[in-house]
Amino acid sequence: MDFLMRWVRRQFTTRVIVLMPVAIAINIVLGAAVQQWLKLPIYLDSIGTILVGVLAGPLAGALTGILSNLIWGYLLPSPVGSTTIGPFAVTAGVIGLLAGLWGQFGLFRPRRSRVASVLGAVVAVVMVGALALYTYVRAYASPDQFSVNTSYAAASIDQSRAFFLAVMVVYVVLVAWALFLRRDVGAVYAIGAGLVTGIVAAIVSAPIAAVVYGGVTGGGTDAVVAAFRTGGDSLYSATLKQGLLSDPMDKMITSYVVFFIVGSLSRRFVSRFPNGDRAIADAPNDAHEASPETAAES
Amino acid sequence: MTVASTAADAGLPDYVARQPSGFYRSVNPGTKLAVAALEVVAAFLLPGWVGPLLVLAVVLATAAAARRLRGLGTIALTTSPIVGSILLVNLFLLPGASDPIARLGPLAPTWSGLWFGLQTVARLMAFSLAIGLVYLTTAVDDLLADLARRGLGRRAIFVVGAAVQMVPATIERAGEIVDAQRSRGMDTEGRIWRRARGVLPLAAPVVFGALAEVEERTMALEARAFSAPGRQTLLRVPADRPVHRAIRWAAILALVVIVVLRATGRLG
Repeated sequence: MDFLMRWVRRQFTTRVIVLMPVAIAINIVLGAAVQQWLKLPIYLDSIGTILVGVLAGPLAGALTGILSNLIWGYLLPSPVGSTTIGPFAVTAGVIGLLAGLWGQFGLFRPRRSRVASVLGAVVAVVMVGALALYTYVRAYASPDQFSVNTSYAAASIDQSRAFFLAVMVVYVVLVAWALFLRRDVGAVYAIGAGLVTGIVAAIVSAPIAAVVYGGVTGGGTDAVVAAFRTGGDSLYSATLKQGLLSDPMDKMITSYVVFFIVGSLSRRFVSRFPNGDRAIADAPNDAHEASPETAAES
Repeated sequence: MTVASTAADAGLPDYVARQPSGFYRSVNPGTKLAVAALEVVAAFLLPGWVGPLLVLAVVLATAAAARRLRGLGTIALTTSPIVGSILLVNLFLLPGASDPIARLGPLAPTWSGLWFGLQTVARLMAFSLAIGLVYLTTAVDDLLADLARRGLGRRAIFVVGAAVQMVPATIERAGEIVDAQRSRGMDTEGRIWRRARGVLPLAAPVVFGALAEVEERTMALEARAFSAPGRQTLLRVPADRPVHRAIRWAAILALVVIVVLRATGRLG
């Protein structure tokens, strides 16, 4: 019990308490900015949540995610405030919780390529790929189950397979970029962690979208839900498939951005957080370091 | 002795001691939260049209009496994209619907889809407007002060309060960064992969700029004994009259009754 209390208290130092509102603001502003200015079909509204999870721990990450959605949904005026985001606080909490676990396992630590790390990365790629394959095969590629559930012909399975392929292509491209351009095996772990987080987030958010919003949330992803429903999917099934397409891609990109951000911060700054020592590279590499101040200037 | 007079007696300035006035605005924030929670649960758990329409009627009547109908209209307008999506998707694509209104080429809008879509929209509006009314009639400071009085820790109060204050400043900064990056060639109008290349040039300065303040704020808080043990003294506490408490407990009781009836299948 005492150990548990210490573990909880350790995650909420004054520095983490200061980081949390900053992270919430980052979530809300970048989430809105990506939709408003870049008009991309991803959310990018959990950079702050994953950052807190990685640097502080699972509980701090979960609380940051939950508070982000509640504040965004219910405490900010229009047009920034968006009541549709509020019910997804549960999903945001799970994302923060998972990010905290990944941080404790050291998955966001930069690892400039070494033989052991490369071998580890290969194992991680195979494991994550197998997990993703299993999930998508269960969700998408079973013509028998599809026909039994929907009484439709299994023609739209092809469409599902195309979506599955798109997610895996994004994963492979990001991993290749990390390995061959940045030469950093740590990024592979971070992207893999993002893929798993995205799959879990999709599973958690599907019933919320189906029950609260009838499967549509007013964003670009509604077209995907509509496409699946045209194929005969039930409401829950359509929102789950849409989530399994959007969320893994979003969380892979978000995790990669967080990995880049953590790697760009100074070791001194990062190490002051409860999990900071698990997010910094083993050997200092001054060429890639910057304090928040100098990083902002660059 | 009222809370306001206590604050005035303590020699606090008027802007600290003043309590909100006007219908519903003067109600205790905790009571308004409990009523909103009841309205949200009723909108989703009462069967058919009864729940959402009842909640909408109560919310609109309260907003009219509190002179907040215009603000509620703005909130309703912001939900129009999702309302449009819900109606269109269900009108044309509700699985199993076989009662077409008309034939429009390959598309066939159905009565069942229209009915289901309208009911979903009514629930969504009841949910959004119930929460919106709390926002429109409650200052965030009052809500946080009331939560602090009820035992919410200073750390949670700081996180919520600081986040609400920080968002407008961060939005302004993000706008400046987008303008600066556009002038350096960031593409916000081209093909999707060109726009995707703008993610890092936008995200990195926003995040690093925000993180730059963390160290200073940490030191400022520690210098003000933020981590010191013991309870904080609250300068101002929102009023909590007996009638407010009665409404709050009635709302909580009604909420529990609805959930239990629904769970036991007695609400259909």
